[in-house]
Amino acid sequence: METKPLPSVESTGRTVEEAVERGLQELGAQRYEVDIEVLTAGSRGMLGFVLEDARVRLTLRYPRPRPPEGALDPGRISQEVLEKLLVGMGIPGRITRQFPAKEGEPVHLDIRGRDLGILIGRRGETLRALQYLTRMITSQRLKQWVGVVVDVDGYKSRREQTLTTLAERMAEQAVLKGEEIPLEPMPPHERRIIHLALRDHPEVTTHSQGEDEDRRVVIIPKKGG
Amino acid sequence: MKELVEFIAKSLVEYPEQVEVKELATANSVIYELHVAKEDMGRVIGKEGRVADAIRTILRVAATRRGKRVILEIV
Repeated sequence: METKPLPSVESTGRTVEEAVERGLQELGAQRYEVDIEVLTAGSRGMLGFVLEDARVRLTLRYPRPRPPEGALDPGRISQEVLEKLLVGMGIPGRITRQFPAKEGEPVHLDIRGRDLGILIGRRGETLRALQYLTRMITSQRLKQWVGVVVDVDGYKSRREQTLTTLAERMAEQAVLKGEEIPLEPMPPHERRIIHLALRDHPEVTTHSQGEDEDRRVVIIPKKGG
Repeated sequence: MKELVEFIAKSLVEYPEQVEVKELATANSVIYELHVAKEDMGRVIGKEGRVADAIRTILRVAATRRGKRVILEIV
């Protein structure tokens, strides 16, 4: 079998941390996907002046399908689009990009930075708008449907965990009290998380009721339980 | 913010050269009038107005940071 050298980049920064971040950005990789070799740790003189930049080499641990050079790469284009939107909004944020594990899976963009709650918005409204526009613009540019997931500092994955825990706790309550428990109103994808979390629960069922902004999941104890 | 409206609109349409954004500013609010080719109206409004809603949400955040209110009219 032909073995090609794995992609690697050398990057610099004021600190090792900064150099690593830059390298990851360039590779479009996550930290766990690369081996990090510190070439020079960098040094500082009096008053924190940088005497020498930190220099690192990052090498991907396993080969990954990459679009050919110059091709319209959904990952790169969606990242550019999201960057433009953030700059236009006047909100500084770094974007890290995770390559899809398999072809056909969505590109995952995570915005990192401080005080980014404003990008999430009430009940995740702003984040949804950002994701929607990034996806529409990228798809229009490539003239084909592109899946893009936009997250802010891992908000979505944390939220999913929170909702799953909430679902389980409320299901327990419903069974204990023998009463239906309505949850707070939630947007569609959050209700879906609740439904999925309790799909195989032996003692409760779930359904949604209410309209639009008021639509919420109700947890119902099964009869004879 | 005008550049933001232009960037979004031009990126979504088939005829970017026909995109025009007019800005009408008062002390604490800004109105953007977005003109696009007739064929492109659907692209900037979207199904059930989803695209227009998303643009307005993004603009509102941008405006809030600048201490302003914003109105987007698609004409």
